[in-house]
Amino acid sequence: MNKISDDILFKVEKPARYIGGELNCCYKEIDKIDIRFAFCFPDVYEVGMSHLGSRILYHVLNERSDTYCERAFAPWPDMEKQMRENNIALYALESKDSLKEFDILGFTLQYEMSYTNILNMLDMSGITIRASQRGENEPIIMAGGPCAYNPEPLHDIVDFFELGEGEEIMNDVLDIYKNFKGRKKEFLREISKIRGIYVPSLYEVSYNEDNTIKEFKPKYDDVPSKVKKRFVVDLDKVTFPEKMVVPYTEIVHDRVILETFRGCTNGCRFCQAGMIYRPVREKSTANLIDAADKLLKSTGYREISLSSLSICDYSDIRNLITTLIEKHKEDHVSVSLPSIRINSFSVDLIKEIQKIKKTGITFAPEAGTQRMRDIINKGVTEQQILEAASSVFASGWSTIKLYFMVGLPYETMDDVRGIAEISDKVVAEYFKIPKETRKRGLRVTSSSAIFVPKPFTPFQWAPQATMDEVVEKIKAVKYAITSKAVIYNYHESVVSFLEAVIARGDRRVCDVIIKAFEKGAKFDGWSEYFNFEIWKEAMDECGVSGEFYAYRARSYDEILPWDFIDIGVNKEYLILENEKAKKVELTQNCRLGCTECGVNVNFKEGTCFKGCVI
Amino acid sequence: MRYLIKYTKDSEIKFVAHLDLMRTLQKVIKRSELPIEYSKGFNPHMAVSIAQPLSVGVHSNGEYMDVVLGRELEENYIMVKMNENTPRGIKILDVVKVIPVEGVKKPSQAMAIIDAAKYTIKLKCTDEEDVLISIKGICSSGEWNIIKKTKSGEKMVNIKPLVYEFDYTVDNLMLNISTLIACGSRDNLSARLLADYMSENIEAINKEAFVDITREELYATKEDKLVTLSEFFKK
Repeated sequence: MNKISDDILFKVEKPARYIGGELNCCYKEIDKIDIRFAFCFPDVYEVGMSHLGSRILYHVLNERSDTYCERAFAPWPDMEKQMRENNIALYALESKDSLKEFDILGFTLQYEMSYTNILNMLDMSGITIRASQRGENEPIIMAGGPCAYNPEPLHDIVDFFELGEGEEIMNDVLDIYKNFKGRKKEFLREISKIRGIYVPSLYEVSYNEDNTIKEFKPKYDDVPSKVKKRFVVDLDKVTFPEKMVVPYTEIVHDRVILETFRGCTNGCRFCQAGMIYRPVREKSTANLIDAADKLLKSTGYREISLSSLSICDYSDIRNLITTLIEKHKEDHVSVSLPSIRINSFSVDLIKEIQKIKKTGITFAPEAGTQRMRDIINKGVTEQQILEAASSVFASGWSTIKLYFMVGLPYETMDDVRGIAEISDKVVAEYFKIPKETRKRGLRVTSSSAIFVPKPFTPFQWAPQATMDEVVEKIKAVKYAITSKAVIYNYHESVVSFLEAVIARGDRRVCDVIIKAFEKGAKFDGWSEYFNFEIWKEAMDECGVSGEFYAYRARSYDEILPWDFIDIGVNKEYLILENEKAKKVELTQNCRLGCTECGVNVNFKEGTCFKGCVI
Repeated sequence: MRYLIKYTKDSEIKFVAHLDLMRTLQKVIKRSELPIEYSKGFNPHMAVSIAQPLSVGVHSNGEYMDVVLGRELEENYIMVKMNENTPRGIKILDVVKVIPVEGVKKPSQAMAIIDAAKYTIKLKCTDEEDVLISIKGICSSGEWNIIKKTKSGEKMVNIKPLVYEFDYTVDNLMLNISTLIACGSRDNLSARLLADYMSENIEAINKEAFVDITREELYATKEDKLVTLSEFFKK
C-alpha cells in the first residue's frame, strides 16, 4: 500500500481529490477476491466522478463477489509533481495500492483530448505504455466509451476495447478472465470471439501509396473480421445501482443522475451519439421513480438530474417529472434537465420544474439559418426558436444560452452570420414582452463550438473547416451582432483541429499521441495545459500530417479506419443522409416512422422503442 | 425544536474543506430521514449551522452544529440514526436538546457563545534537545509576536494573551503541544497561527513537514467557568 503522507497532501490544491473514503464506496478484502479491477477516468476527480457510466459500472463490477473494483483518476499536475518527487506510484483510491498491482485497468474514453492522460497514468504507475512491449505480467489495459468507436489511435496502448454498453460485456470478459489469469495472450485471443470485443493486436493494416487504408484484416482465422457493438436489450432488466458514491468535495454534476433512456431518434447529421447508441430503449416511469427514491435515500442529495440524449423525447416525460416533484416536495428535492428541445412543450416542462428551484435555460439551435439547420437535420424552425424564447422571457427568465456550431459541412458565410441574426432576434423577443412582466437584466449568451467530423455520422467523410476559415467565420459572427445584450463565446480552433485528427485517425496517429506525451502533453482538454506546439512537433517527428486526417474529404469507397465496427446502422444510410444534406433535405424523426437506418434489421434483438409508452 | 449535535471530523477527512463538510453533514441528515426544518423562500436551506468552522487540514474530536427539527425526537434516536448514515470520518458523539429558558427570548446559537477551544498540535522536529531549549525560552518570554496576514494587510500581533493554557512534550522527534486558546466572535486565535509562531521561532522544527492539528473541544462560559458546549446546554 502507498502511504499518501500528509506532508504531500497539505501542499497540493484540493487534497480531498486524493483521499477516497467517500460514502457508498466499496471496500473488499484482497485475499477474498480473484480479480482486481481499476476503473480509470483519464481526467481530474471532479470531472470523473460526475460521469454516470463510470458510477454505474463501478457498482456493477463490485456486485461480483470475485471482483474488487476500485477507482483512479488523473492527478492534477501539482499532485503529480509531488508524487513523482516522492516516488509514489499512481494508486487506486480505495486500497491506495499502485495500479501496477491490478489485473485489469479499464479506461473510459469520453473525449479525445484525454488520451495523453491515459499514457501519463500508465507511466505514473510504472506500467509500460506500448501494448506491444508490455510484459505478460503487467496489467491488462482495456478501454470503452464513445471514443472507442474509433479505437485505432490507441491501438498500441490498449490491449482490448469494449464496443457498446458495458453492463453485460464486462461480466462476460471477467468470467473468462478467471480461467486465463496470468496468460494474457491466450486471454486476449479468447475474448476476441466475444461480441463487442476488439483486440487490436490480432488485426493488421496495410496502406496504399496515398496513405489511405488498403486492407484491414484479422491475423488469424478464428478472429472475427467484423466487431459488432453490444447493447442492453431491455433497460428495465439491467442492474441500476441503488447506491452511488457521494464525494466529500463538490464535483461537476453533484446530484443524483437518473438515466431515462438510451439512443436518440432525431437523426441530427453531425451527432455521433445519435447513431452509435441506437436503437432507442427506455426505462419505465415506475422503475425510474423507484430508482430515484432509493438513490435519494442512499445519497442524501436534494437534486435529481434526468439524463439522456434528448430528454424531452422520453415518452412519459411529463408524468415522470410531475411525479418526481410531487413525491419529494417535502424534502425540497429539485429536478433538473440537462438540455431541452426547443419547443413550447419543453418550456412548459421547465416552468413546472422551476417551481422548486430556478435553473438556467439553454437552447441548442446548432446553426444560425434555416438552410443550415435543415442540412444538419436539426428539425427546428426559426419560429419555434423565437416562440420558445418569448415564452421563456414571459415566464420570468432574463438570461438564456444558445449553442451553435461553426465550420459545418456545406456552410456559407451567410449561414454563419445567421448566428448573429438569430441571437439579435431572440433579444427582440425580450423587448416584445411588456416591461411590467419581463424580468430585468437581459443577457443572451451565444456560444459556438467548432465542428469536428466524427466517425459513424453522415459527415464522417467531410473535411473539417481549416483554422483560417474558422477564424474568418467567428470574426463574421462577432461583427454581425448588433445587440449589446448578446455575449458571444467561441472555442479555440487548434483544439478542434487536434480533436479532428484523433477522432478520425488511424494506427499511425498512435505514435503521435505517444510522442506528444513524451514531450509533456497532458490535460489537453484544459486550456491552461494545452500546448499545440508539442503536438505540431510530435506530428512532424512522426511524419504524420494532421491535415490528412482533419482537412481531407474522403470518398465513399475509401476504407475508413473504423469500418470493421458494426454499429447496426448501415453505411448506405449514412451515405444517403449525407446526400440529403447536400440537397438540404430533411429526414423525419424516426418516432414518426422508420427511416430505415438498419439497426432493427441488422441486429435481430434490436427492437426500436423498447419500453416506450406509445 | 433545536438540537446541539457534537461530532468528529476524523484525520482521514481533515482535507475536506468547510463548505464541503457542511454539504456532507446536510446529506447525513437527509439520509437519516430526520424532520429537518427548511428556510422559507425560493431556494430553501436546511436549518443546519456549524458552530465554528475548521480549516482545511485540521481534524477534530469536538465539533458542534445546531439543527432545527420540525418535531421533538429522543436525543439518542437522533444520534443512532445519524451514526447509521455517516461516511467514514464522521461520528456523532452527543446530541443535546436545547431547551428554551423561561423569560429568555431564545437560547443563543452555539456559534455565538464560544469562548475557547482546546487543540493538540504536533510539529515534526529534527533535534529534540534544541526544541526543548527553544521552547523553554519561548515560554518565559512575555510577548509572542507574529505577523498576521489579514484581508487589509499584514500586522504584528502579540498572541500570548490569547493563549490560556499551554503544555508540551517532546518525544519521537515530535513536539506535542496541548493548548487552550481564545476562540469565537469575541477573541479568536487560529491554532495554525500559533503553530506558525512555534515553527518560526524553533529552528529544529521541520518546516517542510505537515503540522498535525486536532481540535479537541469547544468551550463557552457558564457561571464564570469554561464548560464544553454540550455541558452549556445540558440541564
